[in-house]
Amino acid sequence: MRPDPNATAPPGAGTAGTAARPPGPARGRPRPAAPARTGRRGGATPWLYLAPALVVLAALLVYPVYQLGLISFLEYTQAQVSGGQPTTFQGLGNYRTLLGDPRFRDVLLATVLFAAACVLATLAVGCTLAVLLTRVRALPRTALMLASLGAWATPAVTGSTVWLFLFDPDLGPVNRVLSLGDFSWTYGQYSAFLLVLLEVVWCSYPFVMVTVYAGIRAIPEEVLEAAALDGASSWRTWRSVMAPMLRPILVVVTIQSVIWDFKVFTQIYVMTGGGGIAGQNLVLNVYAYQKAFASSQYSLGSAVGVVMLLILLAVTLVYLRLLRRQGEDI
Amino acid sequence: MNLIARIAAPAAALALAGLAATACAPATSSGASQGDGKTGTLRVWLFREVGNAPKEKAVDAAVAGFVEAHEGVDVRVEYIPVETRAERIKAAFNDPESAPDVIEYGNTDTAGYVEDGGLADVTAEFEAWDEAADTDPAARQSVTVDGRVHGAPLFVGARALYYRTDVFADLGIEPPGTQDELVSTAKRIRAARPELYGIAVGGANTYGALPFIWAHGGGIAELRDGVWTSVIDSPASRKGIAAYAALFGEDNCPAATCAAMGGNATITAFAAGKAAMVIGGDFSRRAVEAGEAGGRYAVVPLPGVREGEIAPAFAGGNNLGVLRSTGHRTLAVDLMKRLAGKETQAALFEAMGFLPTFTDVRAAAVGKEPFAAPFIETLGSGSRFVPATPAWGQIDASLVLPRMFQEVVSGRKDVRTAASDAARTMDAAFAAAG
Amino acid sequence: MTTAFRPSRRARPGRLAAEATALVTALAVAFPLYWMVLSAVKPEGEIQSTEPRPWTLAPSLDSFRRVFLQEDFGRYFLNSLLVAGTVVLASAVIAFLAATAVTRFRFRFRTTLLIMFLIAQMVPIEALTIPLFFLMRDLGQLNTLGALVLPHLAFSLPFAIWMLRGFVKAVPEALEEAAYLDGAGRTRFLWQILFPLVFPGLVATSVFSFISTWNDFLFAKSFIISDTSQSTLPMALLVFFKPDENDWGGIMAGSTVMTVPVLVFFVLVQRRLVSGLGGAVKD
Repeated sequence: MRPDPNATAPPGAGTAGTAARPPGPARGRPRPAAPARTGRRGGATPWLYLAPALVVLAALLVYPVYQLGLISFLEYTQAQVSGGQPTTFQGLGNYRTLLGDPRFRDVLLATVLFAAACVLATLAVGCTLAVLLTRVRALPRTALMLASLGAWATPAVTGSTVWLFLFDPDLGPVNRVLSLGDFSWTYGQYSAFLLVLLEVVWCSYPFVMVTVYAGIRAIPEEVLEAAALDGASSWRTWRSVMAPMLRPILVVVTIQSVIWDFKVFTQIYVMTGGGGIAGQNLVLNVYAYQKAFASSQYSLGSAVGVVMLLILLAVTLVYLRLLRRQGEDI
Repeated sequence: MNLIARIAAPAAALALAGLAATACAPATSSGASQGDGKTGTLRVWLFREVGNAPKEKAVDAAVAGFVEAHEGVDVRVEYIPVETRAERIKAAFNDPESAPDVIEYGNTDTAGYVEDGGLADVTAEFEAWDEAADTDPAARQSVTVDGRVHGAPLFVGARALYYRTDVFADLGIEPPGTQDELVSTAKRIRAARPELYGIAVGGANTYGALPFIWAHGGGIAELRDGVWTSVIDSPASRKGIAAYAALFGEDNCPAATCAAMGGNATITAFAAGKAAMVIGGDFSRRAVEAGEAGGRYAVVPLPGVREGEIAPAFAGGNNLGVLRSTGHRTLAVDLMKRLAGKETQAALFEAMGFLPTFTDVRAAAVGKEPFAAPFIETLGSGSRFVPATPAWGQIDASLVLPRMFQEVVSGRKDVRTAASDAARTMDAAFAAAG
Repeated sequence: MTTAFRPSRRARPGRLAAEATALVTALAVAFPLYWMVLSAVKPEGEIQSTEPRPWTLAPSLDSFRRVFLQEDFGRYFLNSLLVAGTVVLASAVIAFLAATAVTRFRFRFRTTLLIMFLIAQMVPIEALTIPLFFLMRDLGQLNTLGALVLPHLAFSLPFAIWMLRGFVKAVPEALEEAAYLDGAGRTRFLWQILFPLVFPGLVATSVFSFISTWNDFLFAKSFIISDTSQSTLPMALLVFFKPDENDWGGIMAGSTVMTVPVLVFFVLVQRRLVSGLGGAVKD
């Protein structure tokens, strides 16, 4: 029994090249009409409502971004900031310095790989547990939900310190349980990144799990029961029924994860002591911070920031395209 | 609608608005003094040492005397970590409004901080200070840039070899007389007592590592025709780096733990009874005394390459300075003089082992306390300093040398590659600083 | 979690396995938090033991005492609450207004604005530390709590607006028409009808603002330069990090103190959060 012809299409096939929205999760609420059709022209009213937000964002987001770009084109070190020396325009000089620096290229590569690994792991864990939540009774569900909320609620600083302590070579329980002796997790580049990855996944999968779970709950029960009656395995149900229906949600959580994991700062800073042995665990964010605030090379730090911004901008544009292809009205 | 067009339009508008704006770069801070208040709160930043409590006590006593002598004045002392001092102090230079009034700073940072416009020129006050006449010329040099005095010396920091007398007696060995012996002694101890590091060393302990480079005839950089050029990759320097790196390993101090350690961490390990030797300073005494190793240690000068030689020590030491931005200049200078004065220096020697910078106070201290002798002997046999250029502050804060040592001891790069990479980075910084 | 999806009433093979997996996972996920609290109440000797045991027979509050006896600790705690509270309230009100504007009105640049809000979400706040530092300096906000409130307000707004959009949209147009027919003005509709209806969404949104602000580490570290009376909790935690002699008991006790308010907040809003997220991401 096939509940919906679209639902069994492999992900991607259902929407490719068409503007048709996939079967969106229909919840109890009536879907309101798009404002483009019925919204009122309010004259100045919408701008009045928007004014506080726009003022705050212009002053504290747009202007700093502009300044970031500007500083990245100047020579701006401590001598200029407080030493009274004139600032000079460098053109693309700072970017040339950066791109010519093998260290920067290493850090860039490490950041991209690390973020990708974090995103994949977070999504895999989050989606698996969301499906698991739908298949268990109230008690285990509540237990898992509460534990996950606990992990989610843990501030990054404290999460980092706790994980560091758990994996401490001398005092931590993990090495005892795994009989690793005094293996130091923060010494090797990969093991240190793995340790940070575990912490990042721990504190960020709950968002994915809760969101996807909320989405699954919105799928009409008959659809899933039908799949179950068909004897479809969990994996098949997910792939053929849930994933296509959850596409919009999956896009949102993926992009949010990309954005968050690409910007990881506190975990690296705290767990690897500011970037690890010989800077092996630096990611762009920490690298920019060290360049600017430790070495006082504010312009190089800003250039690193601009590079990050451009990468994330590219990701966001992809996101927007995906949203629009799904017929999202924005 | 075309997505790109939608974004491009406002972005272009924004860029145009930006070009039109006249106030471009963030304004620079002049750092100039904001007056000379006679009442209010003075903020002081001092470094947090390993085992800081006795330092706090000595400082509190001096501050209490100061507050008593000045009506309506309050002093707040904050102890900041040495490792991340650069961020804190640069931030203070950047915002005169929130900067402290008096700071402690390492003598390696003097040139950089003066270049950054952070420290006030106190030449006149220093000349007029009766106690200053007894200041050791080397210490005085450490607060002087281009003939102008920018602070008051607080203590002289020399490093020497601490060793555990009980362990040495048990194993029937003598303190090493050469660097080769140092290595073999360390390994012998580790073999006999596997729970101990032979000598605790740290990949990030720059000032403990430099004497090895100097002892082998190498150096950090040389002034050639008015331009600083790194010599950290010279054959002699590389020999020193290799000698230091040889101390990392299962047979002495496992790289997995020791590569990440800084100077304070090695002292902590020795104090906790986890190492048989360590390169420590006069300023480390209190921490060692208070730990497991207390009462079971002695100090000798760090040996050089040949028998009877002493490895050239790093002429360290900390100073106190008044920030240019202070709003209480007279009070701040008074407080600096009190905290770096003879009475407080004597108390700090008692409390922490800080070697006084006044020749008379130091002589009295050494006479009373034989502990200081090996440090004085080390200083007397010749000491070295980091390149006296503002670029050094940046090189130091960018962790160029710790990274080099860490790369070598963790086996990520060989000595030649790591040293030439470090030399390139340094040369770039020297060039940028002019 | 009121109307959970039940696959079937019949006992099915595999369900027990699934439930066992869920319970084990819950335990594993909760373990770091358990270890944190446990280490906070362990006596000093047991923390330093190289044979850590997953229980303690002699719980002690010494570590907490060290944390609370720290000078100004209460002050730090209040500062953290104040900063997070201000950001949550301000961003809720501002985002509510903005979300209403972009969902219930038709005007030029509406779509452009929405895209801008979306793009603003991805701006890495750490990268902006440099210009923000200089901006806060020029505004005279460095060394004050304002330097923490303002940037976090800016960074939580775009996400809040984006999330609230779905909730505002979900309120039927008919309701608005009816309100106007009843003679309600725009302002009255906004605050007395729309606001209560959107409130669950506001709660879900505020979770994000609260967490990101409460967790702030970088700004507290960079913008509060010398006035320790303006510091927040993460700074109090860092005091216990010392070179190679970390006071783990103190760190764990401080972490516990820092985590508990967020946990309480989460548990309070838990239900609204689950439905809130479902509502926000569907549109």
